[in-house]
Amino acid sequence: MPETVLQVDDLKTYFFTEAGVVRAVDGVSFSLTKGKPLGLVGESGSGKTVTALSVLGVVPRPGKIVSGKILFEGENLLEKTENEMRGFRGKRIGYVSQDPNSSLDPLFTVGNQLSEVVTTHEKMSKEAAREKVVDLLRLVRIAEPETRMRAYPHELSGGMRQRIAIARALASEPDLLIADEPTTNLDVTIQAQVLELLRALQRELDMSLILITHDMGIIAEMAEEVVVLYAGRVAEVARTAEIFAAPRHPYTAALLQAVPRVDRKRPLVPIGGNIPNLITPPSGCRFHPRCAYMIDRCVSEIPPLEAIGGGREVSCHRWKELELRGSS
Amino acid sequence: MNSKETQYTRRSAGQWAVAWRRFKKNKAGLAGLAIVASFAVLAIYGLLLDPVPARSFGCLYQGCTNLPPFVDSAHPLGTENSGIDVWNEIIHGSAGDLYVGIGATLISVVIGLLVGAAAGYRSGVSGAVLLGLTQIFFVLPVLVIILLFAKIFLFLVAQGLALSLIVLTLGIFGWPLFAFIARGEILRIRELEFVQAAKSLGASGSRTLFRHIVPNLLSPIIVLSSLAVAANIITEVVISFLGFGDPTTSTWGLIIQEGFDHIDSSWWVAFFPGIAVVICVLGFNLLGDGLSDALNPRLRE
Amino acid sequence: MEGAGIEGVVLMPATLLEVKDLVKYFPVYERGILIKKKVGDVHAVDGVSFDVAKGETMGLVGESGCGKTTAGKAILDLIPKDSGQVLFEGKDVHETFEHGSNEDRKAMRRGMQMVFQNPYGSLDPRMTVFDIISEAFIIHRHVPKSEWKERVYTLLKLVGLEEYHAERYPHEFSGGQRQRISIARALATEPKFIVADEPVSSLDVSVRAQILTLLQSLQQRETISFLYISHDLSSVRQISQRVIVMYLGKIMEYADVDRIFDHPLNPYTVALLSAVPVPDLERKVNKILLAGDVPSPINPPPGCRFNPRCPYATDICKQAEPPLRQLESDHLVACHHAEKLM
Repeated sequence: MPETVLQVDDLKTYFFTEAGVVRAVDGVSFSLTKGKPLGLVGESGSGKTVTALSVLGVVPRPGKIVSGKILFEGENLLEKTENEMRGFRGKRIGYVSQDPNSSLDPLFTVGNQLSEVVTTHEKMSKEAAREKVVDLLRLVRIAEPETRMRAYPHELSGGMRQRIAIARALASEPDLLIADEPTTNLDVTIQAQVLELLRALQRELDMSLILITHDMGIIAEMAEEVVVLYAGRVAEVARTAEIFAAPRHPYTAALLQAVPRVDRKRPLVPIGGNIPNLITPPSGCRFHPRCAYMIDRCVSEIPPLEAIGGGREVSCHRWKELELRGSS
Repeated sequence: MNSKETQYTRRSAGQWAVAWRRFKKNKAGLAGLAIVASFAVLAIYGLLLDPVPARSFGCLYQGCTNLPPFVDSAHPLGTENSGIDVWNEIIHGSAGDLYVGIGATLISVVIGLLVGAAAGYRSGVSGAVLLGLTQIFFVLPVLVIILLFAKIFLFLVAQGLALSLIVLTLGIFGWPLFAFIARGEILRIRELEFVQAAKSLGASGSRTLFRHIVPNLLSPIIVLSSLAVAANIITEVVISFLGFGDPTTSTWGLIIQEGFDHIDSSWWVAFFPGIAVVICVLGFNLLGDGLSDALNPRLRE
Repeated sequence: MEGAGIEGVVLMPATLLEVKDLVKYFPVYERGILIKKKVGDVHAVDGVSFDVAKGETMGLVGESGCGKTTAGKAILDLIPKDSGQVLFEGKDVHETFEHGSNEDRKAMRRGMQMVFQNPYGSLDPRMTVFDIISEAFIIHRHVPKSEWKERVYTLLKLVGLEEYHAERYPHEFSGGQRQRISIARALATEPKFIVADEPVSSLDVSVRAQILTLLQSLQQRETISFLYISHDLSSVRQISQRVIVMYLGKIMEYADVDRIFDHPLNPYTVALLSAVPVPDLERKVNKILLAGDVPSPINPPPGCRFNPRCPYATDICKQAEPPLRQLESDHLVACHHAEKLM
């Protein structure tokens, strides 16, 4: 029986803004099996980052987790006090954000910042902390760690800073690492390095990984299982191979046809319209205004997330009848 | 695009309308606006409708000098020992102080915008010279200079004009901050893509400056203006209090100064105009904060 | 090497734009107490030559710091170049703007437009869409005032927007819609050439295809030439006919789109292509992981600028800068070892 590390159940996180209630995450459920990198894929406003922040218990104001369950190794994180959460966040659950520039403090050297993290989790001597920091830098493949320790973040390149951010997230040897668009701001050759590093670390350390991205290409390379999010809801859950071969949700299929590919040229099929506004989201299925297969029922009725066998789940009224094209 | 799109059903609103909508939600800002509006009403009443002229010594003959407040309903805030009515003086003083505050600020804004725009828009020597000039003006001991000027004016000019000369002096020495802000904003806006887009459309330098750059730097200037009005009113009070003011025109500073000489016996003469100053300055500051929130693009969605 | 990029390539029937040995450096200063001291130059664009044919989309691709945006802006003379020449319909662009008559200058501006990367910064927030688009009519007076409204509506429709959008302000639109407005503004001058600088990179993936297909249809229906600048190789492949790969201010490879994507001859292009994740599990390529970071363009490495990261680098790469040479028809490469990849 595979071990479930994280189970998110009907999570709802809303933002109570001046303009109205933004239903950023509106009933998201998925689970993460140990050792199987999970991809959370979606565009802006899909709720992927808010889901991650909810798991970490750091939803920014005016956001609030309204309902749902987040079970991490069997414990419901939503029932934990702020004090207890500190034992999870940054310790058992590591987080790497999109922007290493804002997550690293410009006033302290890399070594300082890492040893601070190392010593908050475990009491140790200055010497031991230093050694641990050097080990961490080696772990993320930074050459000459003793020299790099003395550098300030602004003296390092973007790729290097992201490696430092990963090292910091790994300092407490977390069971789960959440990487939120870790390569979005990086050049493509540097992105390849960082992705390779994450993949190798995941295997070496046998930790669970959630990778958040908008890039189906990164999903193909990194994830074994995929959760496709659209406008705060789960569209589809599947193994990576299946989602590319035979997507079941029209949004997934449309996304695969709308994204240009580097390996071959083919006619693009754009998805019309725009990402919906989550204060007044479309009724029924949130993808219906942009969906080529829309029927009346999609407007009136919210499609449930149905298990369709083989571990797959999809929330579409018409999944049985539709023949959707995959990436080929 | 998509005919199903229903996102834009509300009427189109411009940037200023959006700002006003935001401003309306800001209670402190609205309170500031209400305070400022009340003083404006008082000032207009004092200038046009008030039957009692400013600095009227009528009481001297009616024997109602040096009345304490809340005793005589004809003189609710009391009178001074030469018979001047304190409430009447507050009314007329609001005209004088709004004139000083707003007038001086307008002069500062105009000079500051011109110098700042030129310094920001012209890189190279002329820009550097203008920036240097601004910096020199910025570090001058403005209050001392203003006092000096005020003294000279009082000697040289017919006394009825003296308040206008104070306005002019405050305005002429108050512009550097506006110039700094304008220059900084221009340097920022100049690099924005819509300015480059205007250039690539073939827009001339002056068109780019006046059609694209200036409208976009007005927000911080408006916010700063509101705060500058408050600061100028305080400076007026300080000038008058030190005895460098115009003794013929009613201002709050003047009556405070007069009242201060008799503060032990008739405290109300200085006290109530002082309260007026505090409320008015508070009003402009609250208004400025409200405007800042409403116009600040970072807070806008 | 002068002009190699021009004579080397078999010219397409009509050349619209010619770039000859374009150079743009940005001085780097260190702030002293009183005076600024120059400490070096950013070699943003360092001798770039190419041409764009009528109705062609030329892709210009490279990583950050390779000088692609600087090249685009220098071509339009939005920033002054240091040396080299840009010819638009045979006329020297910089000369025209500096010394040409008012009419010539305006005609040149009308002919060349730009679409910017950031849809949130490229539209004046205080103007309505109508004012934004009709500004070109005010400046160039090529449309009588009585027809402005109609023309704005036509342009809005052309880019996939509706008439009622004209009275709205930019803040009311999504990123993709703003980019459409930006394109409509560029089209208002009836240009022959548009520099599109990363027009889709800040858009959501589901919206990118809309803008890419719009650009494609403009190129085909209106025979507008594009210089499509991007770091995203996939979109470059999608809409370009020919492609230039830049690295640290230099052209590394310059060829027909299929040739460069299917048979790259520069090790840098090969590595770049292999680094792009492809949304398909059946395609397995051997990733070439480049060591190290993109070096600073302030003091680029001597010899071939790619040599510190290149798996094929030998001594010659550290000493001699490889010229851009023609290996196949329509295929130029700057690499000492390109034959090894053939």
